[in-house]
Amino acid sequence: MTTEDMATETEADDDTDSLVTSDPGKGGLSENDDRGTVMAADTIVESRDLDVFYGETQALQNIDLAIPENQVTAMIGPSGCGKSTFLRCINRMNDLIDICRVDGELTFNGKNVYDEDVDPVALRRRIGMVFQHPNPFPKSIYDNVAYGLRTQDKTENMDAVIEESLKKAALWDEVKDQLDKSALNLSGGQQQRLCIARAIAVDPEVILMDEPASALDPIATSKIEDLIEELAEEYTVVIVTHNMQQAARISDKTAVFLTGGELVEFDDTDKIFENPESQRVEDYITGKFG
Amino acid sequence: MATRSESGFGEVSRLRGIVFKYLTFGASLVGILALGVLLAYVFWDALGLESAGTAWYLTYTVTLLAPLLGFLAYARDKPEVTAGAIELVGFTLAGGTLSFAAIIVLIVIAGPGVWVTYFLTVVAPVIGLFLYGQYEREATWVGLAMLGTLVVGPIVGTLGLGAISTVAALLGAPGVYFLSLVVPGAGLAAFLAADRFDASRRVALGVAVGLLVLAIVGVPVVDTVPIVARSVWFAVLVMLGLPVGFAVTNTARQPARRAAFALPAIAIGGFLVGEFVVGAIGATQPSPWLDWQFLTSPTSSLPADAGLYPAVIGSVFLIILVSIFTFVFGVGTAVYLEEYAPSSGLLGTVTRLINVNISNLAGVPSVVYGLLGLGIFVNINIQFGPVVYAGIGAGTVLTAAMTLSLLILPIVVISAQEAVRSVPDSLRQASYGMGATRWQTIRNVVLPRSLPGILTGTILALGRAIGETAPLIMIGAVATKYNPPSGLFDTLTAMPLQIYTWAFLPSEEFRYGVVAAGVVTLLIVLLSMNSVAILVRNKYQQETY
Amino acid sequence: MSNEGRTPDLTRDRGLQTVRESTYKYALAGCAVLSVLTTVGIIGVLFVDAAEFFASPAVTFGEFFTSTRFSPNLEPVSFGIFPLLLGTLLVTFGAALVALPIGLLTAIYLSEYASQRTRSVLKPMLEVLAGVPTVVYGYFALVYITPALNVVIGGVNGALGTQFPTLGLFNGLSASIVVGIMIIPMVSSISEDAMSSVPDSLRQAGYGLGATKFNVSLRIVVPAAISGIASSFILAISRAIGETMAVVLAAGSRPPDIPPTQSAFGLLPYVAPGDLLALYSDSAATMTVAMINIAVSDLSGGSLAYQSLFAIGLTLFVITLAMNVISDAIANRYREEYE
Repeated sequence: MTTEDMATETEADDDTDSLVTSDPGKGGLSENDDRGTVMAADTIVESRDLDVFYGETQALQNIDLAIPENQVTAMIGPSGCGKSTFLRCINRMNDLIDICRVDGELTFNGKNVYDEDVDPVALRRRIGMVFQHPNPFPKSIYDNVAYGLRTQDKTENMDAVIEESLKKAALWDEVKDQLDKSALNLSGGQQQRLCIARAIAVDPEVILMDEPASALDPIATSKIEDLIEELAEEYTVVIVTHNMQQAARISDKTAVFLTGGELVEFDDTDKIFENPESQRVEDYITGKFG
Repeated sequence: MATRSESGFGEVSRLRGIVFKYLTFGASLVGILALGVLLAYVFWDALGLESAGTAWYLTYTVTLLAPLLGFLAYARDKPEVTAGAIELVGFTLAGGTLSFAAIIVLIVIAGPGVWVTYFLTVVAPVIGLFLYGQYEREATWVGLAMLGTLVVGPIVGTLGLGAISTVAALLGAPGVYFLSLVVPGAGLAAFLAADRFDASRRVALGVAVGLLVLAIVGVPVVDTVPIVARSVWFAVLVMLGLPVGFAVTNTARQPARRAAFALPAIAIGGFLVGEFVVGAIGATQPSPWLDWQFLTSPTSSLPADAGLYPAVIGSVFLIILVSIFTFVFGVGTAVYLEEYAPSSGLLGTVTRLINVNISNLAGVPSVVYGLLGLGIFVNINIQFGPVVYAGIGAGTVLTAAMTLSLLILPIVVISAQEAVRSVPDSLRQASYGMGATRWQTIRNVVLPRSLPGILTGTILALGRAIGETAPLIMIGAVATKYNPPSGLFDTLTAMPLQIYTWAFLPSEEFRYGVVAAGVVTLLIVLLSMNSVAILVRNKYQQETY
Repeated sequence: MSNEGRTPDLTRDRGLQTVRESTYKYALAGCAVLSVLTTVGIIGVLFVDAAEFFASPAVTFGEFFTSTRFSPNLEPVSFGIFPLLLGTLLVTFGAALVALPIGLLTAIYLSEYASQRTRSVLKPMLEVLAGVPTVVYGYFALVYITPALNVVIGGVNGALGTQFPTLGLFNGLSASIVVGIMIIPMVSSISEDAMSSVPDSLRQAGYGLGATKFNVSLRIVVPAAISGIASSFILAISRAIGETMAVVLAAGSRPPDIPPTQSAFGLLPYVAPGDLLALYSDSAATMTVAMINIAVSDLSGGSLAYQSLFAIGLTLFVITLAMNVISDAIANRYREEYE
């Protein structure tokens, strides 16, 4: 069993060498990594040849991307180049859009999430999502965090689980005395942390974040960024961000999407920002185009 | 942190969701199905279909029903044909309603003398001024002049009623209607031909002359039919002929739409063939309660003789008065509240209060409006200095019209407000930016754009008014009346009131036969009104995009 | 060079244009004043004549609200509004039982489950329900529904051996059913608007947490739209209270007999369920029906019965107005909940 797993892992590692589609050869794994991540990280989510269409328009072309476990992977690029679309493919939230069509393969823990026998609702119970604009329910703080637990029938020790989630989301101290007050009374940053607490309460394996701090002020943003780094110890975090500096600060690996839905380069964050392979990526990072 | 698994991610039961979906779908259908069943029953009773034999059913299924369904199936994926068919049906309906209203108001109620008086003092001048204003755009005094005529004209007309009526009598009733309906109608037809269909002047003139000739030629033909008077022929020719002619020409000109002519062909042809076959094979026909006799006789204590005629006339008279009153005051109020009234400061609070007040008025039960009518228009006696106001009579046309108008005024105001609000502000800004005054902006930008919505809302509200009974009872409308109303201060009965009176009569034949016929008549009138409203809304919704 | 005589004349040509603008403005303002006058008229008429009624020596406030007999013309004359209130309560409660669940479920279907095409077909059809005149609904109840129900009751009694009472010609049950059908569109349309205004981001959050559509609809959307839904309920009930013709034709003109009450636990009045059900099988005149009856019999003014008309009307007006105001207040509250 273990050998088989190792074999699969090695294959996956080999694949990462050829991840970069437009620039051949190098790239892949670096040997120096400040965050101390192991060279051969397990891949938890991987896409192969993924094409996504909205009606006639193609939003993503041929995406091959292997997202490692327990790390923060950032996806950057100008607006409209498909980062959010890719993110929403992972937990099949794109199913909610009628005209969206997905071709190719996207695996989670080795299983293609677009297989016929996969129940998207069950899938979404293993993968959490945090959205760009905080969207707490118009219920109490307690009920917000409890919603996922109740939905998934994980109601034992609910108080303890909720407390734990709020602590992990660095919100417990601020709200512990007002759990029954409406969540809409919180500030924007607090609401977003509440949404994070809500997502992690059900113990997902992966947390997807779609520009989680773009609607927040700088102080709230930095709190969220600290939070993300801590979350990566327990969960896999995939974050879409507009803010390149943010990606440089908090992520272990970065994927760069450019116009037309193309994944141009995927590598360790340091490499991408200091010495990218692709000229286009370098132009984007140095701000030659937006 | 979960363990890896190569198998699926598990399944979440959707059973509750599926059951719930069908439950909610069923709930949506409950009311509709219940109403459908009830409507089927009442139509069945009214049309006496029970007594029809199987042969009759078979015949009509073959000659009428099946071809109609075939046409529907054919037209399902041909939007042009559907549009053409809808246009034909819609214009015929509208034309039918118009001619019906014209016959009742102009011929039955008003009579030639009254009609020609007000035609000369109000209608003709206003139309003349309007047309002048269209040609001479510089003459901005036209609007004020039209307003002035609308106020002064009726007064002049009332004063001169006697004199003009005598002159009119010399012309004879058909002559009066020929001059006041057919001639302007011919002008309108020529205008439409030139304007909408790009006809040359000669063709347009030909159309006008053709209409006049048709009117005259039809007279001897019509004379052979006893119920149709010459005046009625003129009214129908103009009010029904023009819309239908317009729709027919429009459909005929576009090749893609020509297939739509199959619909009236099937309807009329199928009906005629069916009648012929049924007569030939001697199938037992249904014995309907709803027949021509029913529509043209007054009520009676014998079920077989009872009819709805006075009630129909009364209802039509009422609706016309109510529509004029509520359209003018409702749109005026809506325009004022949306365009003129300040939204901040003390007056802003007043505006908000008025809005709240109107929405509360919309929720007041109709009996209370009846009480209002009773207290203000019937049992009242106040003195304003030398003038004594003693009400306008119990159960008179004017009282009923005023009470019903007040009843639906809030609804008309609210829907007119929504229509005006839906005009994008950018259009207003563009108008002001060009130096237009407020009234010019309203008249040239806001009103034209919001008019379809206003019309739809008003027609739907009128549909509500036509079915209201409680206020009429409260203001003392009599339960049984044998003659249609002859003037504003005459007592009246209306369709819903007549139905209500009949329903309490113990005889089963009344309850299951006559009342059913009355209900079906009322429903058909309502259905046509609502269809016209929906057609207006759909037609203009497409045009604004 | 010289700009003399070239300064643009920016002062408007006053004259005709001003006259025109002012004329229209004041004419339109006059129209708006009419709505205010209407309210003043209603309140004035109701209060003045009701005051005359209560000022009469034959009537007292107490008797009006507590007497258990309403009989304006038949001896012994009594003007107790309580039986009429009971009738109104019966019919309204029955109608609410029909319309509120069906209307809410319909709204959920239209807002969360139905496709665009289905919606565009169902919504107009539901509007038709609201467009049928009330006198027609009353007729339906009298002529079709009551006999049909009696057939059903007879069948059930025969098959199960139960003793359900058969319905009289005029009965409260048919009236409730028919008024209920009539107000379904009010509930469904307003509730559906409220549910459609729930921002989609909330649904997305729910789906992201692995909830099924059923869960999202019932646990997120409906609670979020609850103010609008409650407001629609109250409006519909208010409409049912004011409903006249359908009830006249279906439930007749006799107010219900007040059922005997027993005391439960020594304090609370308690009506046996059997007695309550029996109420529905018999005539149940409401306040509105009583008004119609008085109007039909005597409208010349001056008599006590005529004046009682306004007292009842005032009660009705106050009740419906209060409900409409409450409904507005509740609906306005929900506008702030998402921000």
